[in-house]
Amino acid sequence: SAVGELGRLAVELLRRGAAPRACEAAARKLNIGAEAVQHGVEGLTYLLTESSKLMISEIDFQDSIHVLGFSDELNKLLFQLYLDNRKEIRRILSELAPKLPSYHSLEWRLDVQLASRSLRQQIEPTVTIKLHLNQNEDQSARVLQTDPSTLLHLIRQLEQALGEMKTNHCRRIVRNMK
Amino acid sequence: ILDDPDLKDIDPTVLKYCHAAAATCILEAGKQKADISAISTCLEDCKLDKERIEQFCTEYQKNKDALEILLGSIGRSPLHITDVSWRLEYQIKSNQLHKTYQPSYFVTLNVENGDSGSHPDVSFSCTMEQLQDLVGKLKDAAKSLERATQM
Repeated sequence: SAVGELGRLAVELLRRGAAPRACEAAARKLNIGAEAVQHGVEGLTYLLTESSKLMISEIDFQDSIHVLGFSDELNKLLFQLYLDNRKEIRRILSELAPKLPSYHSLEWRLDVQLASRSLRQQIEPTVTIKLHLNQNEDQSARVLQTDPSTLLHLIRQLEQALGEMKTNHCRRIVRNMK
Repeated sequence: ILDDPDLKDIDPTVLKYCHAAAATCILEAGKQKADISAISTCLEDCKLDKERIEQFCTEYQKNKDALEILLGSIGRSPLHITDVSWRLEYQIKSNQLHKTYQPSYFVTLNVENGDSGSHPDVSFSCTMEQLQDLVGKLKDAAKSLERATQM
């Protein structure tokens, strides 16, 4: 039960960051020193993060913690803790990778320009686009414009891009990488 | 025109006035998309003789289309997309996470501003699903355009 408690604290640490008061409360409940709890939680956090990062298998996991000299039952508990939380931990870790501005969504609007200060009696169709991007939690919106023929060109090019993953070349690489 | 040998006998100030007047007339005609008869009438009111009016109108007709294109390109508008380039990557690992195995696209939209010409391009990364979303929306816009042109 002590492991269960520490495990929970470790995952919370990964989700939200340090919580010293929760550690103190756990220390009181389990009748151990607060510092011991702290170290225990940090150790577990490290174990979980490294295992999740490497997508470690059961054999490798057991080999690694064998050196700690815990009981078999404890080892099984730890492995289960790893498996249960692996997906979420990997999701959290993936947010640490270097990031470029990423696509969020796109809004579009069809306009026809009828006149301007320098030229009257026009009929110029344009497509106005609002591109929403994310970068490190900031959302930005760029307003862009294009004409009908460029729009068709963009669609053709990007459809080609989408089709690439289905080519034999890409399929072969994906197969061989796993 | 100040260096033109045919015109060197005329007072340069007068030359400048004439040039400015002609330019203004041409620009105004272009802006209003005036047709030949409107221009002729206007020039007649200015007491120009028939031969000169005809010469002016012929020259104007020759350059009318180029003039309209030029006038149409003046003015402010949002950055104009001219082209797109893309890159497909297959992510294997990062220092934070190994064995990621995910395809990822990096798309760059080349943009231009009417006057200044070059401008930093808009780039972003996206997953396959996001690119599908993007292309889907662009296709909606294109369909809408097609329907509008059939009306």
